Amino acid sequence: MTAYIIRRLLLLPVILFGITLIIFSMIWMLGPDRLLATYVKSPEALKSEDAAERLIKKYGLDEPTIVQYFKWIGNIAQGDLGYSNIAKKPVQEAIAERIPYTLELAMWAIIPVIAGGIWLGVISGIHHNQPLDHGIRIVSLIGWSMPDFVFGLLVLLLFYTILGWFPPGYLSYESEAILRSAEWTKYTHMATIDSILNLNFSVFIDAFRHLIGPILTISYLWWAYVLRITRSSMLEVLKKDYIRTARAKGLSENVVINKHARKNALIPVVTVAGGMLVSLLAGVVIVESVFNRPGLGRFTADAATQLDYFSILGSAMVFSVILVLVNLIVDISYAFIDPRIRLS
Amino acid sequence: MSEKRTEFRRMMRRYLKSPTNVLGTVLLIFFIIIAILAPVICPPQAGQDPFKIPIATWSAAPVAPSADHPFGIIGGRDIFYGVIWGTRSAFKIGLVVSLISAFIGVIVGSISSYFGGWIDEILMRITDIFMSIPFLVAAMIMTTILGKGLGNVMIALIIFGWMRVARLIRGNILQAKSEQYVLAAKALGIKDGKIIIKHILPNTIFPVLVQVSMRIGSLVITAAALSFLGVGAEPGYADWGTILSYSRNWMTELSKSWFAILYPGTAMVLFVLAWNLVGDGLRDTFDPKMK
Amino acid sequence: MNKDKKPLLEVKDLTTYFHTEDGLVKAVDGISYEVFPGETLGIVGESGCGKSVNALSIMRLLESNADVGGSISFEGQSLPELSERQMRGIRGNDIAMIFQEPMTALNPVFTVGDQIEEAVILHQKKSRDEAHQMAIEMLRKVGIPEPTKRVDEYPHELSGGMRQRAMIAMALSCNPRVLIADEPTTALDVTIQAQILELMKSLQDEYGMSIVMITHDLGVIAEVADRVVVMYAGKVVEYTDALTLFKNPKHPYTWGLLNAIPRLDIEQESLYNIPGVVPDPLHFPKGCKFNTRCSFCGEKCKQEEPELIEVEENHFVRCFFIEKVEKEKAKTKAGENL
Repeated sequence: MTAYIIRRLLLLPVILFGITLIIFSMIWMLGPDRLLATYVKSPEALKSEDAAERLIKKYGLDEPTIVQYFKWIGNIAQGDLGYSNIAKKPVQEAIAERIPYTLELAMWAIIPVIAGGIWLGVISGIHHNQPLDHGIRIVSLIGWSMPDFVFGLLVLLLFYTILGWFPPGYLSYESEAILRSAEWTKYTHMATIDSILNLNFSVFIDAFRHLIGPILTISYLWWAYVLRITRSSMLEVLKKDYIRTARAKGLSENVVINKHARKNALIPVVTVAGGMLVSLLAGVVIVESVFNRPGLGRFTADAATQLDYFSILGSAMVFSVILVLVNLIVDISYAFIDPRIRLS
Repeated sequence: MSEKRTEFRRMMRRYLKSPTNVLGTVLLIFFIIIAILAPVICPPQAGQDPFKIPIATWSAAPVAPSADHPFGIIGGRDIFYGVIWGTRSAFKIGLVVSLISAFIGVIVGSISSYFGGWIDEILMRITDIFMSIPFLVAAMIMTTILGKGLGNVMIALIIFGWMRVARLIRGNILQAKSEQYVLAAKALGIKDGKIIIKHILPNTIFPVLVQVSMRIGSLVITAAALSFLGVGAEPGYADWGTILSYSRNWMTELSKSWFAILYPGTAMVLFVLAWNLVGDGLRDTFDPKMK
Repeated sequence: MNKDKKPLLEVKDLTTYFHTEDGLVKAVDGISYEVFPGETLGIVGESGCGKSVNALSIMRLLESNADVGGSISFEGQSLPELSERQMRGIRGNDIAMIFQEPMTALNPVFTVGDQIEEAVILHQKKSRDEAHQMAIEMLRKVGIPEPTKRVDEYPHELSGGMRQRAMIAMALSCNPRVLIADEPTTALDVTIQAQILELMKSLQDEYGMSIVMITHDLGVIAEVADRVVVMYAGKVVEYTDALTLFKNPKHPYTWGLLNAIPRLDIEQESLYNIPGVVPDPLHFPKGCKFNTRCSFCGEKCKQEEPELIEVEENHFVRCFFIEKVEKEKAKTKAGENL
């Protein structure tokens, strides 16, 4: 297994290099004119006659592509992702500010997604082709076919417009005022966690109220997915010889399912869990836009609509790196769960 | 031949046995009929692009459903027209993107497994790299660079959508290569290329078609999401996501614009559901192993 | 035979039908036999003849689409009438089972020891530590070297033969009265097959349990069985003690099976083969189910099905033309002697 991990680690730089190539070729596709526009921070900068040429020289846009690539990658290596026109600050700073919001949402959402999905999947698998199974499957199939933004809008319609329970946004004005006050210590930049650490539960409740809509949306859509995998893997496992062996030993159905079947059934779930976590992070682009939550996803979406190229390329870079790292972690942890892989 | 036909009939019987499969098929046929009859249900204005929703009113405020505009008006556009013609857009996006990207995937996967060695290594690493950028984010950047429009959305989705099929095909070919009938063909001195085209590809094409049918739903969702975010089809285009994106401006007053979510939203959910059910059913029927 | 002795396990008119989407499959169609204490009953037949289904029917381990009829009594209790809870008390404890493919029959994500211990803890109410000691002891008994180390290994870390030994250790850990062995040696190498059979025999001597040996291999039967049930297409076609069966087979199918065994003591031009294939369980032929492959088949065989009759004491055969078979046998025997 060490060989496997070493191979994975050696491939990591190759993949990261490939990602920079793709992103740079996108910059290259933009062409000098549009690139130039992204460097112009105010209309005044273009007032003088030779302004455009000066900027082209200054940013090296007339240099050979390969030179531009190495300059660009040099900047990236120093953590410089360019200037964000929508945030009016360097992209890396803008992204760093937004990440806690997204992480907070993903963190809270992954709990109901995984726990609920697995639970429903196991139930569905045990009651294969019985009414309960059909019911769960139909509800989840609808969830699977539901675009996240449509379901998000419906959640908003029901819980905000009609019931007035869970507002969009991040925090109420009052809570935001508390966050700005001097007594407030920002430990993690995540309101739900900071509020606990600051022992301010009204802020916690407020922050959580704003989280429920996005969590509901993400959970429902992802349940379908986790459930499907758990269910089919459960069905598969229940047909296995060792389940028959377990029953032949006289074990109760409860032990057969919860001990012998479930551990085997969860192996494929773990393999997709990592990909899921990443898709979930990418999926927040839409959920955050619908619920007006100022995270990285919303930032990317805003950057895209306002054609702020460096911001969205920077976000893509960050998303990709997260994806690659999460996949790596998942693959390695997969090897730990399944004893068959551990040794080979 | 007749044996094949009875086998096919048996498969059909098994497919139609599941009520969910029947539901999916019926829904799909319903949408096909709508798409075909779109010019009859909602005749486009003469000399106009039928995929442009005609402007019903110049006021931006949403207008509740009425006899003339059964699904209401948003952004000055008739929602009913958009939903009907949007069916054609959805088919266009789903079929074109999934088929072309599957085609690319088949080619990459075949080359990779045929040549093996460093060509395989390089192609698979490229596949990995393309898979490392989240699909939605990648598609979003691509459309912002290529510019608005449904054509560009489809190009973006194709560029970042071929990898799964490539891996599937490669895996299947590698597996098939070690199977008896292929070894037998090899022993007879038949060339590798011919073996792949004659013996292996026909056997792997079915899982690809299942994959294609199962991807159509999510592709339509992704394309709609791009439109919803404002980087997809141009405003006024007859596309469900575009109509839904109008309601973004009325999010705080959803009680006034619910119909702009409900009708195109329902159409999209049912359309995606139809494909998901059909894809799922095909997979279960023809290849129970793939579960 | 021991007609006066009380059978431990008695199966009577057992039927197991499956409701499938293609129709009704009569996997087991009215079979009867007894298992006496301490003996080994062999059940032999080609794959698909219903011999494994019969075992799973006894254990009540079949899917819900199976319809089991007839009576199964174990030490006087009627197994089909027991509650699921009572049945669980019998499985693994009174009647244990080992399976064909030890790789897939052992759970890959638990250690061998863990899988032995759970039956011990469940049925013998032992503590975890005692059970662990017992697992080690059992592994030693079945001839696994370094049992203290192996007990904490996963199934895939053991070789095929070792795995089957572990399976046997697991099955015998609660000292069952009956051990049902479903093709226990089929997946193993020939040399290992012999070792496993030897092991089972010596453990039978030690524990005194009865064994139901299900196999397609008459060699295995010859090795271990006291009495034999020959099954074909869900029915018993011949039922007698092992010696009689090998010396004096009466059913054409049994005779064919025996002829299909290569022999070194006589010169054979070619190996005998029963012509044709096992009929599709959805479309069994009318009349005698063996009629499609039988060289003695007459008109009668295509119309009605023969009954299982006791032709000699304790020798049951299901065939109309036993005399014809006898004649043919005499001819071949004469040929052999030339």
